[in-house]
Amino acid sequence: MKLFLYIGVLLALTPVLADEAAEPPSRLAELLASDAEGFARATEPRDFVFPADHGPHPEFRNEWWYVTGNLDGDRGERFGFELTFFRFSLAPSADPSDSDWRTNQVYIAHLALTDGEDERFLVAQRYSRGALGLAGAEAEPFRVWIDDWRIEEQSSGDWRLKADDNEFGLDLILSASKPPVLNGIDGLSQKSADPGNASYYYSITRLETQGIVRTGNRDYSVSGLAWLDREWSTSALAGNQVGWDWFALQLSDGSDLMFYGLRLDDGSQDPQSGGTFVSTGGIASHLGRSDVEIEVLDTWDSPEGGTYPSRWQLRVPRFGLDLTITPVIADQELFTTVRYWEGAVDVSGSRDGNSIAGRGYVELTGYAR
Amino acid sequence: MIPVTYRASFSYLLRHPWQLVLSLIGIVIGVAVIVAVDLANSSARKAFLMSMDAITGQATHQVIGGPLGVPESVYADLRVEHGIRQIAPVVDGSISIGGASAQLLGIDLFAEQEIRGFTGDVRSAETDASSLFVDFLVEPGVVTTSEHTARELGLAVGDTLEVSAGGRQHEARLVAVFPDDGNSGLERIVVTDIATAQEWLGQAGWLSRIDARVGDGDADALMRLEAALPDGLQVLSAAGRTRSTADMSRAFMTNLTAMSLLALLVGLFLIFNSVNFSVLQRRGLIGVLRALGLTRRQLLAMILIEAGVIGLVAATFGVVFGVALGEQLLDLVSRTINDLYFRVNVTDVSIEPFSVIKGLVAGVGAALVAAAVPAIEATSYPPQLALTRSTLERRAGRVLPLVTLIGVAGMIAAVILVLISGSDLVAGLTAVFLLILGFALCIPLVVRAASTIGAPLAGKIGGSSARMAVAGVASGLSRTAVAIVALAVAVSATIGVSVMVDSFRGSVSQWLEQTLRADIYTGSLREGAMDPALIEAIRKLDGVETISTRKRASLEDANGRTQLRVFELPPAAFDGFEILDADPAEVWLAWEHADTILVSEPYAYQNQVGAGDRLTLPTDFGPRDFRIAATFQSYDINASAVTMSRATYARHYRDDSIDSLGLYLADSADIDSVIAAVEALSADGPRLYVTSNEGLQTESLRIFDRTFVITDVLYWLTLGVAFIGILSAMVALQLERAREFATLRALGMTPVQVGGMITAQTGVIGLLSGLAAVPLGVVMAYVLIKVINRRAFGWQIDMTVAPDILGVSVLFAIGAALLAGLYPAWRAGQSQPAIAMREE
Repeated sequence: MKLFLYIGVLLALTPVLADEAAEPPSRLAELLASDAEGFARATEPRDFVFPADHGPHPEFRNEWWYVTGNLDGDRGERFGFELTFFRFSLAPSADPSDSDWRTNQVYIAHLALTDGEDERFLVAQRYSRGALGLAGAEAEPFRVWIDDWRIEEQSSGDWRLKADDNEFGLDLILSASKPPVLNGIDGLSQKSADPGNASYYYSITRLETQGIVRTGNRDYSVSGLAWLDREWSTSALAGNQVGWDWFALQLSDGSDLMFYGLRLDDGSQDPQSGGTFVSTGGIASHLGRSDVEIEVLDTWDSPEGGTYPSRWQLRVPRFGLDLTITPVIADQELFTTVRYWEGAVDVSGSRDGNSIAGRGYVELTGYAR
Repeated sequence: MIPVTYRASFSYLLRHPWQLVLSLIGIVIGVAVIVAVDLANSSARKAFLMSMDAITGQATHQVIGGPLGVPESVYADLRVEHGIRQIAPVVDGSISIGGASAQLLGIDLFAEQEIRGFTGDVRSAETDASSLFVDFLVEPGVVTTSEHTARELGLAVGDTLEVSAGGRQHEARLVAVFPDDGNSGLERIVVTDIATAQEWLGQAGWLSRIDARVGDGDADALMRLEAALPDGLQVLSAAGRTRSTADMSRAFMTNLTAMSLLALLVGLFLIFNSVNFSVLQRRGLIGVLRALGLTRRQLLAMILIEAGVIGLVAATFGVVFGVALGEQLLDLVSRTINDLYFRVNVTDVSIEPFSVIKGLVAGVGAALVAAAVPAIEATSYPPQLALTRSTLERRAGRVLPLVTLIGVAGMIAAVILVLISGSDLVAGLTAVFLLILGFALCIPLVVRAASTIGAPLAGKIGGSSARMAVAGVASGLSRTAVAIVALAVAVSATIGVSVMVDSFRGSVSQWLEQTLRADIYTGSLREGAMDPALIEAIRKLDGVETISTRKRASLEDANGRTQLRVFELPPAAFDGFEILDADPAEVWLAWEHADTILVSEPYAYQNQVGAGDRLTLPTDFGPRDFRIAATFQSYDINASAVTMSRATYARHYRDDSIDSLGLYLADSADIDSVIAAVEALSADGPRLYVTSNEGLQTESLRIFDRTFVITDVLYWLTLGVAFIGILSAMVALQLERAREFATLRALGMTPVQVGGMITAQTGVIGLLSGLAAVPLGVVMAYVLIKVINRRAFGWQIDMTVAPDILGVSVLFAIGAALLAGLYPAWRAGQSQPAIAMREE
């Protein structure tokens, strides 16, 4: 559920060319909505096949591999991480060429680490054309990479996630403890009323994770849970959608919850908002807009401008959930060219009257001013 | 208040404006030439450095490879396998846009941020940034340039343009321009995506280099980069590469500067002449002033200040003209540099304060030096003596032996300097100047002797006015000598350079004839390999008996750049190499089988190596030792080179490309029809040149001649200075003798007779100058050929003196002198005897 980032990333490239990148989102939505000709569109449900669908779908304009997770160090240190690979088709096809550099594929990656102890939030970014082996994605064995940042399947079937920047780095092994679940209607996730403004969207909501987190010269041995979001589409946002709030929560009873609320420019929530509840046994249930109630309890003012919601009460009466969601630290805003907030959260509350806890990730877009 | 003495000094000059103007012109031209050459040199060098700077950006190091460049997979490995990030790939090469040459810079925008700033701010009128980005990356043929370059080429954003690259025409679209903010380093640089650059330049799979940014003193990062590279690739400092490239042209620029100094030297004689005359003319005034109680020191100051002011005014004009002249010279200089050394695109002279100051100092200094001698002389007389003209000539006569002695000493010093200075170019040039000065100082004695001996002779032939004309040269020696010296130096410089260029051209022509053994030559224009299929087709053409192949490559390591020529030769071509220091039979026996190389004579001279020495060259498998089998004679205009056989090359470099062929035809074959057949074969591919042996010789000599255009231009300027010099000397001399002429008129000589006498006298001056110029010119040519050229370029040239060069030079000297004598002759004839006589 990272549609907005398509625009963001496109612009993240442009500072290479121009400083005038920070344009208003509505203008960008227009840009996105236009000229989808020649690309495939997500208009009807499809058959998902794994592991083939872990690989790229270059006929669609944009796609991402989105991994977030919460980790604990040996001595109780608290970390959150995000490693995302975005793929973009800049044109429906690339011209034939003698040069291996000629391509229409572009990859971008964001790496973020939330250090709960030191209350630090570290971000790094990579981009490259999807050519010459500099960046790309493959299905079998699964691999997505830019430079030496990568997620790749091991011979064991586990995924290794490795990314390093000057100040910090990750080297983690991820092992899925649930099968992929299809979000929306059989994996077709409608984002606005227009047909085709939709994506194909699946998640692996629970991956057992262990490995090393590095900050500065210090290595931490860590373990915890990660979440994978996979989504590809050609166009999604409507002109009147200003952003969204996305929640991915892993609860102590083994169940997981995803919900995205699409915000309209009049302040209301788009009826196409929705989510998925995944039971302990891995059974997915689709959530409609009316299944979920969200109340903002607190806000955080970004020093760079804009006010983000910062604490929530989230209720899903259908599954007896009443949860309080609190960011691990308030400032988890990414200073990529388009600013957004993506951060680790703690969850407390009750399910059917029994106390429950959990952790998760929240993504907030369209708040930066 | 201005002291009355200075008023006297300047009001004299104002009353004789022609004299003032002539004094000025000498300095103006001398300074202008110095400033022009200096500006042209420094602008070309600066343009090169700035463009290297702009292109290098923040890169501190560059990864370079063998003849084909760096395999692009190495770049991907560095990033993906080794996690090295502050690197950016570059594919660059020469292109032309509507006949204007430019440099294509192919980059990967994703890697650029850390390396080159100028891609960071692109202006486009119509599109927004993101679609601009998409176009740049996705659409073939999309380019951007600096605003200034776009304007200069007459392009606007959105225009499509024809680009010629790699021998083919390509369609390009200018999508944006970036601001240059006065940074001329971005001149004629066309930026495109690396994919487009590879497509256009035919470099698929290869990078020209990888730029790297290593933190200052971050030895670990540098070691990591070096360790990650496969054999045959090296990391060199970007600044070092730029420096060693720029240094390639140093000898050429030093020579140009020397030539500009020669112009000033001639100008110096001219100034000396003018100032000397203005002092002499005022000997009456000086005598009066001395009689009135002015001290020597005051008088000296007066004359020097006058000269200094004139020098300053003239030098200022000289600087202005120099800048204008520099614009013209720059074109010639940059063309030569492009022909010989490296690509430089420069259209504007950048005015260097230092060049301007040099010009001003040279002008004022020259004026002061020139004034000092007559000033000291004039002020050293007792007042009453200063009033008489004859005293002066007596004095001049007395110091003549001393002057001559100094001259001889100067020439001896020049010879000694040449002998002891090894291969130092600057010392060689200093010797040339010493030689000229020394010789110049000997001229007056010779002139006096010649005119003393010649006068009675002339009298027998042409009567008394002829006798007087010749004798007048000696009796007015203090002035005529300087004019003769100035003209002689200028003419001798022409002789020296003409003989040198002529000898050089003769040697080159002979060499071309010997070296070019094939009947037809063909190859790719500019850089780039020939299509292997085409080569095979040519090999099979009717009438083609065998072919030779050539590949030009540039090898580079931390010690600098080495030009490499790779030949596959049929035995018939072996004779084309004039082996200088080994047995040819042995050389050719080892040619293909052992790791031997041949070095050209300039290379051997510059690097002090020869047969039997070993040379380490970078190869695709790391540095390797090669044995130098021999030195061969070469006037390859592209500087010094190392030559190896194709077989040897194949053992050390993974490159089978060929850039030109020599076709050896069967006796029965018709050259023109084979040329037509080759042209037909290559009609669909990249453009080739196809030329007969004769055609290539002609073309080579044309390039040779072009290289020396700048030399010609400078010498014409020098001659211009000399002409002005002789004109001013003659005007001064004749006007000063107005009373003498008036007396002659009063005694019954007609204006025509007086004019004729003056004309005859200038003719004698011209003749003497011309005759004096011949030995000096020949000696100068010898030094230029055997010392200067050898030291600057390493060429061994056979000196041949064409008599017509000498004859024409003497005639030129006489002609110039006669021309300069016309006005004074006319004027003397016009004077009214009564008025002229009354002046005393």
